[in-house]
Amino acid sequence: MSGLVAGAPFQHSGRNIAQLMQTLLYALLPGIFASLWFFGFGILINIAIAITFAVLAEAAMLRLRNRDIRSHLSDRSALVTALLFAIAIPPGSPWWLVALGIVFAIVIVKHLYGGLGQNPFNPAMCGYAMLLLAFPLAMTGWHIPFEVITGPLSVDNLGTPILTAEREFLSQLSWGSFKQALLLAFPFAASGAIDISEFVDGLAMATPLIEFKMAGKSALLAARESGASLFARESETAWEIINISYLLGGLFLLYKRVISWHIPFAIIATVFILAALFYAPGSVAIYGTPYLHLFGSATMIGAFFIATDPVSAATTRPGKLVYGFIIGVSIYSIRVWGSYLDSIAFAVLFGNFCAPILDQYCRPRIFGHGLRSKSKPLPNEVPVKP
Amino acid sequence: MSALRQLASKFFGSDTVFARRTVGGIQPLPFKEDSLRSRIMSTPIPQQLTIPIGAADGGEITLLVDIGEQVSKYQKLAVISIFTEGVSDVPVHAPTSGVITSIENSIVADHSQQQQLCINLAADGHDEALQLEPQSNYSLLSRVNIASLIRDAGVIGMGGAGFPAADKLRLCGESAIEFLIINAAECEPYITADEALLRERAEKVVVGAEILKQASAARRCIIAIEDTKPDAIDALKQALKSEMNLDQTCELVLIPSKYPAGSERQLIKCVTGIEIATGQHPTENGIVMYNVGTAYAVYEAIVEGKPCVSRFTTLCGQELKTPKNFEVLIGTTADFLFELCGIETSNKQKSILGGSLMGSELGSDKAAICKTTNCLIAASADEFQAPQAEQACIRCGFCADVCPSKLLPQQLLAFSKTADTTQLLEHGLFDCIECGACDYVCPSHIPLVSTYKESKKLIATRRQDLEHGSYWQQRFQFRQYRVKKEKDQAVSRKVAVPAKPTLAAGPAVKQQNKKTDFISKEQASLDIAAAVARVKARRDEKNQ
Repeated sequence: MSGLVAGAPFQHSGRNIAQLMQTLLYALLPGIFASLWFFGFGILINIAIAITFAVLAEAAMLRLRNRDIRSHLSDRSALVTALLFAIAIPPGSPWWLVALGIVFAIVIVKHLYGGLGQNPFNPAMCGYAMLLLAFPLAMTGWHIPFEVITGPLSVDNLGTPILTAEREFLSQLSWGSFKQALLLAFPFAASGAIDISEFVDGLAMATPLIEFKMAGKSALLAARESGASLFARESETAWEIINISYLLGGLFLLYKRVISWHIPFAIIATVFILAALFYAPGSVAIYGTPYLHLFGSATMIGAFFIATDPVSAATTRPGKLVYGFIIGVSIYSIRVWGSYLDSIAFAVLFGNFCAPILDQYCRPRIFGHGLRSKSKPLPNEVPVKP
Repeated sequence: MSALRQLASKFFGSDTVFARRTVGGIQPLPFKEDSLRSRIMSTPIPQQLTIPIGAADGGEITLLVDIGEQVSKYQKLAVISIFTEGVSDVPVHAPTSGVITSIENSIVADHSQQQQLCINLAADGHDEALQLEPQSNYSLLSRVNIASLIRDAGVIGMGGAGFPAADKLRLCGESAIEFLIINAAECEPYITADEALLRERAEKVVVGAEILKQASAARRCIIAIEDTKPDAIDALKQALKSEMNLDQTCELVLIPSKYPAGSERQLIKCVTGIEIATGQHPTENGIVMYNVGTAYAVYEAIVEGKPCVSRFTTLCGQELKTPKNFEVLIGTTADFLFELCGIETSNKQKSILGGSLMGSELGSDKAAICKTTNCLIAASADEFQAPQAEQACIRCGFCADVCPSKLLPQQLLAFSKTADTTQLLEHGLFDCIECGACDYVCPSHIPLVSTYKESKKLIATRRQDLEHGSYWQQRFQFRQYRVKKEKDQAVSRKVAVPAKPTLAAGPAVKQQNKKTDFISKEQASLDIAAAVARVKARRDEKNQ
C-alpha cells in the first residue's frame, strides 16, 4: 500500500506519533525531577545511558530492516522506551546493565517482532524483567548517596540491618553524590578498585512498600524498639511525592487526550479495592494499607505510563477496562503473595498476554447491531387529509 | 434509560424533543465563513449546458427529445428509470430554452466519478419557459397527488444520496410515520449550501417541510440544525412563527455541532433516540428524513409548480476570490462556476467535489453539476497538506473513539492488511459509513477509509467469485454425476436388455424413465429374488 493516497479525507487534525511521544516525555518530567531530588543523579545517568543505547540500537535495526532511519527515529518511540526503562532500573546500576536491558528491549522485543506497532509485549518492561531474572541482586539494591564516616552497619538480633548515626547522607544534588553516581555507573573509571557494596544501601530498596514486605512484623517491632523506625526515613515521603508527580503527569496525558482513562482507572481502582479488602490493621500488617499500595510503590507510573502503552495493551474500550483489572489484580497478588519485590513489569507483561483475546471478545456493540426487535410505533393517529 | 427519558419528558413537557449525546464524532475546523459572506447568487445562463441523464447504478433511460430539437425551459428531456427498490421514474427537465446539440457520455460532478450519458444543450438566452401549474393550496392535495407531483418534478434527495423523493414517500405509505426529520445538520467542513438556503429562504423550506409532512402523514415534523448556525436558526424561528406555518407543527431542534451529525442514522439517534438496526430502513421504524434542499425543491415543485432544474451549490476554496453559494442550473460545468468566483487557474492544485472529509477529487473541471452536487472546492497548493507518509498503526484507539458507528478501525485495518474477510465482516466493515473521522484523527496518517473501501471491494469480488465458483462447481458435479450414470447405464445395458420406455408420457417423463426405470420393475424383482436365493444357498452351505 502506498503511503500517498489522494482520497478523502483531505483535512487532518495535524496530530502525529512524534507529538504524542513528545507529550509523553513531557509528562514524565515531573516524576523524573522528583526522583532526581530525592535519589540523586543516578536516574539521570540511567536515562543518559539508556537513551544512547536505545538510539544506537534503533538506528542499527532500522538499517538492517532497510527502513528510513531518519523518519523512523524521529517518531521518538525509542526515547519513550528508553526513558520508561531507565526509570525502572535502580539508580547506581552499572552502565552495562542498563545497556544490556535497553538493547534487549529495542532489538529483540521491538524490532524482531516487526518494529513499532507490532510488538506484542511492552519493550521497556520486557527489558526490565529480563534483567530482574538474570541479575536479581543488582536489580534490587537502590543506591542512595551517602558517606560512610565510621564503622559498619549494626545488625540487630534478627539480622535486620539498622541505620546507625555514623552514616551521613550526602546532599542528593551535591557534586560528591554526582561523582559517586558516576563511579557506580562506570566502575572502570575509578582510580582503584571500589567495593560496590560500600555504596549500595542494601536496605534502601526500591520502595517503602517493598521494605514493608521484606521486613517481618517482629523485625519491624524490634526495629521500632531499638529506636530506629523504618518509616521515619525520608524515603517514604520521597516516594509519596514521586508518585504524586507521576500522577500529575498522567493527568496531563489524560487532559491532552494522549491516553484514555480506562486503563489507569481500572488499575488504580482494582489495586485500591484489593488493598482495602485485604488490609487488616493490627493482625496481618504485612498487606499494607491501600495508601501504601498506591503511593508507596510504583503503581502510578505503572498505571499511567507503562500499562497504557497502546501497542501492547488492549485496544477496545471494554477490553481496556478488563485489561486494567487484570493488571491490577496481578500487581496486588504478586506484591503480597509473590516472591518478587515490585510487580509492575510482570503484571503488565501478563496483561500483554491477555490483550489479543480481550480485543477479540470485549468489543463494543456496533451501532445498529444487536438491537432487540422493537415494537413498531403506534399506528398513525393523524387522519390523512383528503 | 427509559426512566430517565420519562423524567425528562415530565420536566420538559411530554412531547418535547431534545438532542441526545451521540457517540464518536470530531470537531474539525469548519472553513464555512468565507462562502457565507455573500448572499446566494443565481448563475447567469451558460451558453452550453451538459445535463446528466445517466443513472449512477444502471437503470434505463428513455429519451424524449432528439438532437437538433428546440426545447423550452422546464420541458421534459428524458426519464431515468431506476430499478433499486421497485421501479421509479425520475424525469429530467431542461434548465433553460435552447437546442439539443448532442447526446454523449461526459464527466459529471458525482462521487462515482464515472462518465454518464448527458444531453448537451446550447442555450439560446431567451429562457422561454413552459407555463407552470402552481398549486396555491397544497393542503387540498391528497398524499398520492403530492407524491406524483413531486415525481413529475424530478425531485431527488439533494443531500447527496440522490434517492428519489417520491419513492421515500411511497415507503412512508407502507408504515406509520411518527417523525419527519428535516436534516439541516450540514456538518462537513466547507459546505454551506443548506445554511445559506435557510438563512435566506427559511419560510419556503418550512412550507416544503409542511408539504412533506402532509404527504408522509407524519405525526410530527422536526427540523434538526446544529447550534453553531445562529443566522439560519434565527431565520427558521422567524419562519416557524410566520403565518405560512399554519398549524405550527414543525419543531426546531438544536443539535451539538459535531461531524458527522448529519449522517442519517446518527441524526435519527440524536433527535429521537431511536437506533435504526443495520439493514432496516428508517421508515420501518416510523421515521423519514429529508434534506433541507429537498424540502425547498418540494416547495418549488408544489407551490410554484416548478420542476427541479437548479440546486444550491457551495463554491469555495482559497483559490476563489469571492467564494459563495450559487443557485446553479443543473448541467452547468464546474469551470463556469469557478470563473464566476474569480479563479486564478495557475495556482490551483486540485478541485474537490463535496466537503473536505468525504469529498473526492474532481476528475475534470468540465464536469457538469448534477442534482446531488453540494460543494466544489478549488483548493490552493497549501490548502490541504499533501498526505504525510503513512506510519505504523500504534493502536492508540483514537479512531475507535471518534467512530460514529462504534467500530474498531484499528482492528479493521489489521484485518484489511491480512485480508481476513471473516473477521472484517464480524467487526462490521459494512457498517462503516466512510465519514473519514478515523482518518482525521489518526496520528499515523493511515488512509483508513481508502483501505476499507478496498476491503469492501475485495469482499464484493470474493462473494462474486464464490457465487461463480459454486455455480461452476455445481455444473462440474452434475457433469461427473452424469458421466458416472452413463457409465453405469452402459454396464447395465450390457447386463440387462433395456425395456422400451413408454412414449405416451412427455419428454420429462422420458428423461425419468431413462434414469430410473432402465431395467423394468419385473426384471428387477426377479433379479433381486435370484440374488437373495443365491445368498441363502451360500449361507446354508456355510452353516452345514
